[in-house]
Amino acid sequence: MDLAKLMEVPGVMAAFTYTDKGDLTGQMIKEGNELTPQVLDLLAHTCVANMAVATMEARGWEALTGQKGFEPLQGFSLVGLDWSAVVNGNCGVVVKNRDADYEAAFAAISACTA
Amino acid sequence: MHIAKQLMAIPGVIAAGEYAYRGDRYTYEGGLTDEQARMASILCRANTLNVSMQAEMFSSFAEHCGCRPLQGWIVRGKQLSVCAVGNFFCLLENRQGVLNDVMTVMRAKVGDISDNVMQVMYSKIGGDVTEQLV
Repeated sequence: MDLAKLMEVPGVMAAFTYTDKGDLTGQMIKEGNELTPQVLDLLAHTCVANMAVATMEARGWEALTGQKGFEPLQGFSLVGLDWSAVVNGNCGVVVKNRDADYEAAFAAISACTA
Repeated sequence: MHIAKQLMAIPGVIAAGEYAYRGDRYTYEGGLTDEQARMASILCRANTLNVSMQAEMFSSFAEHCGCRPLQGWIVRGKQLSVCAVGNFFCLLENRQGVLNDVMTVMRAKVGDISDNVMQVMYSKIGGDVTEQLV
């Protein structure tokens, strides 16, 4: 899990890794923004929870509708006012919305998780 | 043009719609049955409220953290994705460029929420918004 590689994602403000429970294990934050390790730790915990909820919903949706194509999930993104968090597995990035390339961010975190 | 129509014009978008913040009113276009659209609306509303609450919590650690008010969320599946911004949702295929195009349209049309999203949601219910948020 290479944080330096994640810091190359377009518009990146921070990159982080976390355990399956959401505890922060590594982080890199670009200077000049309000993100702190504390915020990233909380973010990681919420993302673990959101991935679990999304997995439950995807499984339920596929079973109820017969529409396949969600599982296994490839990530979750929380889109805030100025930035978005993009996570999957044990890796995540925070990107500026105005410069965000969501597809590149999802691809980068999938590569990090692999 | 209605936002759902604009989203449906993007190749790779399967369905798009709008849901009410309360009750089960919804409108949609594209490849969903009425019952699927109803379920999608409920799911999106619940997730938006949940993620919005999380964004509120981030701000307690850093007041100007840039996360609130929340604009929306994305679930990326293996072949399909779902995005929700404001009270609109979009189901799309994971084809090159589709997600970025959809997010650009959604953020431009319904994103950058100027007010607290919780307040906006409760304001749709009517009555004393401040009292309901206490």
